[in-house]
Amino acid sequence: MAQTALPASRNSANPLNLKKWLGVSPFFLFAILFLIWPSARLMIDAFLDTQGRFTFANLAQLFQNPTIVSSYLLSIQISAVTALGGGIFGFFLAYSVTIGGLPKALRSMLVTFSAVASNFAGVPLAFAFVATLGRTGLITAILKNVFGVNIYTAGFNLYSFAGLSLTYMYFQFPLMVLIMAPALDALKREWREAAENLGATVFQYWWHIALPILMPSILGTMFLLFANSFGAYATAYALTGGSLPIITIQLRAQISGDVLHNPSLGYAMAVGMIIIMAVSTIGYIWLQSRSERWLK
Amino acid sequence: MNENLPYFAALKAFASRARDRVGDLWSWFWYLLGVLYFVLPLYATLDFSLHMQRDTISLLAYQKAFADPGFLKTFVYSNILAVITILVGLLLVVPTSYWIRLRLPEARRVVEYITTLAIVIPAIVMGFGLVAVYGAPIKIPFTSVQLTDSLLNSPVGTNFIIIMGYTVLALPLMYRSIDTGMRTIDVRTLTEAAQSLGASWTTIIVRIILPNLRASILSGALLTFAIVVGEVTISSIMNVPAFSPYLWLLGQHKAYEPAALSFASFLLIWASMGIIQIVTGGRAQAAGAH
Amino acid sequence: MTKKILFYVFPLVLIVSMILSACGSAATPTAAPAASGGTGMDALVAAAKAEGTLNVIALPHDWCNYGGALDEFKTKYGLTINEITPDAGSGDEITAITANKDNKGPQAPDVVDVGYSFGEANKALFAPYKVSTWDTIPASAKSADGYWYGDYYGVMAFMVNTDVQPKVPQDWSDLLDPAYKGQVALSGDPRTSNQAILAVYASALANGGSLDNAQAGLDYFSKLNKAGNLVPLISNNGLVAKGETPVRITWDYNALAGVDSFNGNPKVSVVIPKSGRFGGVYVQAISAYAPHPNAAKLWMEYLYSDAGQLQWMKGYCHPIREADLRARNVVPADLAAKLPDVSGAVFPTDAQMKSASDLITKNWDSAVGSDIKAAP
Repeated sequence: MAQTALPASRNSANPLNLKKWLGVSPFFLFAILFLIWPSARLMIDAFLDTQGRFTFANLAQLFQNPTIVSSYLLSIQISAVTALGGGIFGFFLAYSVTIGGLPKALRSMLVTFSAVASNFAGVPLAFAFVATLGRTGLITAILKNVFGVNIYTAGFNLYSFAGLSLTYMYFQFPLMVLIMAPALDALKREWREAAENLGATVFQYWWHIALPILMPSILGTMFLLFANSFGAYATAYALTGGSLPIITIQLRAQISGDVLHNPSLGYAMAVGMIIIMAVSTIGYIWLQSRSERWLK
Repeated sequence: MNENLPYFAALKAFASRARDRVGDLWSWFWYLLGVLYFVLPLYATLDFSLHMQRDTISLLAYQKAFADPGFLKTFVYSNILAVITILVGLLLVVPTSYWIRLRLPEARRVVEYITTLAIVIPAIVMGFGLVAVYGAPIKIPFTSVQLTDSLLNSPVGTNFIIIMGYTVLALPLMYRSIDTGMRTIDVRTLTEAAQSLGASWTTIIVRIILPNLRASILSGALLTFAIVVGEVTISSIMNVPAFSPYLWLLGQHKAYEPAALSFASFLLIWASMGIIQIVTGGRAQAAGAH
Repeated sequence: MTKKILFYVFPLVLIVSMILSACGSAATPTAAPAASGGTGMDALVAAAKAEGTLNVIALPHDWCNYGGALDEFKTKYGLTINEITPDAGSGDEITAITANKDNKGPQAPDVVDVGYSFGEANKALFAPYKVSTWDTIPASAKSADGYWYGDYYGVMAFMVNTDVQPKVPQDWSDLLDPAYKGQVALSGDPRTSNQAILAVYASALANGGSLDNAQAGLDYFSKLNKAGNLVPLISNNGLVAKGETPVRITWDYNALAGVDSFNGNPKVSVVIPKSGRFGGVYVQAISAYAPHPNAAKLWMEYLYSDAGQLQWMKGYCHPIREADLRARNVVPADLAAKLPDVSGAVFPTDAQMKSASDLITKNWDSAVGSDIKAAP
């Protein structure tokens, strides 16, 4: 196996050098066995009815069944809201430590915190938010005792769309920070100086130069945030247990659940989920590659 | 007036330099808002967890939480599984990444698509997929010859499948870590130099490549660790005694101990991320939601 | 090269997994089993030990002190216990049996503990077995052919976190008070959970209904929901302790166990509604598809032995053989004193239970429309 000279890889004389592909075969084998085939199997099962015959009925349910449609809509809404909110908040945070000129120490603190927060999702995050904004949470108590505002009588509820979105934001905007900070770094100072020299105001600089350059990165990351939120299960389940029928929770209820239990329908929902996730992720990848044109 | 102009100019220059150094109000506003958002839930959890005994601050919740045999059992289990997942992940990614850089750049795209696929397929879909495929007896395809019984029928089999599931979940991060590391060390030159000195492949990988990848390996390992210990979705579908399902269940019956454990896991993640920061010199990674 | 590495890794992974599972089922020294019969029992114990594992489902450790019962069983016989979804409801347990008919793995339950009305309805899923103490189980609480058998009972109560809600309701009608807005919760989904179904049934008695007419209960909960007092969450002791659901409608034994575990923080009041004690019985059954049938039988023998019944008593439940235990004076005095008084409790008959269950599970969505789901 050992060779003394490394061959040129663009080996036009031997386009399909099987022996070389053998080297990555364990990886592909692993991917096929534990990623591709199980997902494919689920997607195939979506097209089968209880007798094993081919049918479109399950997928049709995705559009006809009002519970499922509203689940998808709810998930899309939450994902869009947290992607947008997390994206904007994260952008300004990233801005503050890069162009905004805050001291370097603050930047590394922010990056560490962002890494921690984006990994803190799941059960502990749900508990943390209950301790913060739950009926007897810290912020609830402070607002009630210090400011006289009872958010619960005012209609707020942690186990709702608003509550879940607030919780999701906790790991959404750190992700934005981590991705946008390097992008903002890449915004060359010379461009700003050149614009100033030509008489542009700050607003004009941003509107005509900086934002257009950054837009693929910003939008792309928002797509990533969308996918991130759409596929999340653990945080939502730990927080609301199912009182908010987002699509991941509905899926679980259908496949392994109590009252509902229609696995084929669950698999169809999985197909729908994968399609939406794929569209979002492809959007992210495409926009990222475009952003690299200016932000090398 | 004219003789004052240079002073004004100097003042203006000073002000703008000061602004550059300290940042403007706008930036401070957002930064402080961000800090508030980060810190408040953590502080609330800590505060709640310290008040298990009425009217005093005590570590009782922590003592009780750590003394619970269920905690030890599930935490150890998840840790062991995390270590194995890290090993499997490294064994998959390091040789593959190395091979791609050295011999097979064409495969790079495909491998990246696969890691992207691991992001696109949500954990819950993957969990049910694994159950669907491995919950049935393993047969030779297109025949009815049964090789083994369903892998999920035995604890060994279930552990094996769930480790593979965890590895898939951690794959994108592990790959990105190792790949970034490989990019910064010049793999070709190192390999050529080593080979010209007569080193075997084992020597090259173990004694030259791996030590240079220490930072990336540690980074990938810690991220995988965070993912495995925090994993609830696949773990609860397969009913394994993992830590996060235990934490969720604890929250059904107790109030203070779950808060204590939540804060403790935050500290653990912070320590891990801090180590990664130090070791990689600032190239932080994000795991995203589970 | 890579293949060689993989070749050595694959068995390594398998070996470590085996070590892991061995760690889980490490052999504990087995005490000599207290055989209540002769060689029949010994043979059962041996067969159960050969199986080595018992799969249980929906047994929270603080429900009737199942934690104590499971520990004692493990110590006595050295079996490993695999606990599936401790917070499942009766409906979930039945689904677990049907969904895992062909599966002999750790997701398939050997035994179930379900609400009374779930017993007869799902007879086809059970395997009959009569424990050695069969005759001391009251006839009204078991199926004559041994498919299911009552295990314990309690009465419906309110559990109130008085730190958050100092005003303690004394009866069902009090719960409609605006002071309880967003504070009252059931302990399960009324479409599948026995506890929740019976809570609705119990409220019927206090609102003009009767054991034969549970509709009043649905109407009551509809009012409770419209008033905004009903929280669409499955309450549990964790939520009560956190103050998220300060008023929990649950069995008295759950509330009392919660008082113990909270240890004063928070302070909790347990109230049995003035309008009447509503009793609910649970039943045990062995799954017809049990992966470990002998372990299942041994578990039943243990539960219906004096030791098992006393464990339930420690959890504030009235075990089904209580009359027999008291007659033979085997109940410790302090334990007997702690048990809640359930004299005069009304128990629905089989037929009444079935019609009420049907009514409630089918009409909850339309009558009340509140989707009760689990929470932290």
